Amino acid sequence: MYTKEELFLAISTVIDPEVGFNLVEMGLIYDASCDDEGNAYVKMTLSTKACPMHQLIQQWVKEAVQKMAGIKSVEIDLVWEPEWNITMADENVKKALGR
Amino acid sequence: MFSVSQDFAPPFKLISPFFILGSLFYLLSVIFLFFFSVEELSILDAKMLSFVHLFLLGFVMMVIFGAMAQLVPVVLEVGHFGVELFYAIWPLLGIGTIMMVFGFVAYPTLLPFGGTVVLISMMIFVMEIFLTIKKVQKFNLVITSMLLANIFLFFGIIFGLVMALGYAGMISVDIGALLRGHVFLVIIGYIVVTIMGLSVVLLPMFGLSHGFSKKPLEISLALVSFAVVFVAVSSLSGVVFLSYLGYLLSSVGILLYFYFIYTIYNTRARKEIDIYAKSLMFSYFSLIASLVLALFYFVDGYEMLLLASAWVLFFGFFTFVVTGHMYKIIPFLVWFERFSPLVGKQKVPMLADMLPQKSSSAQLVFGILGVLVVLAAILLKDETLLRAGASFLLMSALALVKGVFYMINYK
Repeated sequence: MYTKEELFLAISTVIDPEVGFNLVEMGLIYDASCDDEGNAYVKMTLSTKACPMHQLIQQWVKEAVQKMAGIKSVEIDLVWEPEWNITMADENVKKALGR
Repeated sequence: MFSVSQDFAPPFKLISPFFILGSLFYLLSVIFLFFFSVEELSILDAKMLSFVHLFLLGFVMMVIFGAMAQLVPVVLEVGHFGVELFYAIWPLLGIGTIMMVFGFVAYPTLLPFGGTVVLISMMIFVMEIFLTIKKVQKFNLVITSMLLANIFLFFGIIFGLVMALGYAGMISVDIGALLRGHVFLVIIGYIVVTIMGLSVVLLPMFGLSHGFSKKPLEISLALVSFAVVFVAVSSLSGVVFLSYLGYLLSSVGILLYFYFIYTIYNTRARKEIDIYAKSLMFSYFSLIASLVLALFYFVDGYEMLLLASAWVLFFGFFTFVVTGHMYKIIPFLVWFERFSPLVGKQKVPMLADMLPQKSSSAQLVFGILGVLVVLAAILLKDETLLRAGASFLLMSALALVKGVFYMINYK
């Protein structure tokens, strides 16, 4: 129903309030897919296991995908492998954080 | 939309009194400095004991306990056993602290009562933490450090209460001997071990550090923990050698810990030197300065060196590690409570927008100046420098209080 890129575009509206970048450019979204029935799947991680906003961030991702027309369900798969590191972020993020 | 669990973010009204009272007690501690004269600066002076308890219980412990209400579930990845118990902790700790402060300087009979009230508040805290840790399935370095720290606190306050009873003349004990154990159990065993354990979570989280080894921290925590046990046993048994072994192990452990912090700093992706990073830099350099001054004291035996070491540890290391984290934790809690429900509905501020830029900078600059000038005053026994340093610190404390209220009332 939706491509990975379309789902990533929807999730890119979710911004981490601590660093000020969206989750996609941070490299925190590993994969996303959606079947013809509108069941979406998002594989993601967080920058640290101890993130106090982990429940909220997952909720925002879920809501961002649910806003897309025809979406029936969203499954969030929070994984810790591979462990996130700054090399997974976009160049603009690395550049801005490295200042 | 599914509901957000409060497990990992207790209500702000539960935590805010700890930060408000903590900052006010810091202000009172700084005002207390004006009542000292350099001639009467002595480790065991009643006024000094009063001042130290006002600062450590009222400010350092108060803020650490409040921060723990938020950090424990985040770090342990389980909900609190009974987070509502924190509603009882801050009033008891505040009242007990005030009673102890007056007990030391004016009414010794108040001391055991104040000590008991503090003991009750700390026992509630320690038991709540133990019962929360009991829910944890798998132990890691942070959880082990938290468990050790709270065991040390438990024994530290027992030592303290026995000393308070002795100080009030109710029982006969060797206060001088117990003091070493009490100081090491509470200051090194609880405060320093807690900071060490939490730093492996908080520093990489805020600095986005990855790929550093935790081995130096494991070794340093083991060394410092053995040191605390040795000094506590020494203060009970009178075997002086154990105390010296404890001092040596804790010094090596703290140096190793400093190296660990350096590796986190070096592997961070976030290079911005904000108020948090600046506060922590000064705090960690203060920790090393405190260690160096303590080593000089052991060589020279000049009491002012020991006082200077304690001064830099308390007002340099503890204060700035605490205030640095207040600038991260308070905005997060306010944001979580006030703005997170509005995400996606309207524009919400970033956490950095909620920082009081001017007052936090003033707190940092005046605070550093104050710590350094008072340090010089202690070493040179100079009255004018003591007043000047206290004045800088007063500006810093006022800025801190203003900043805390700014963050709490941010709309």
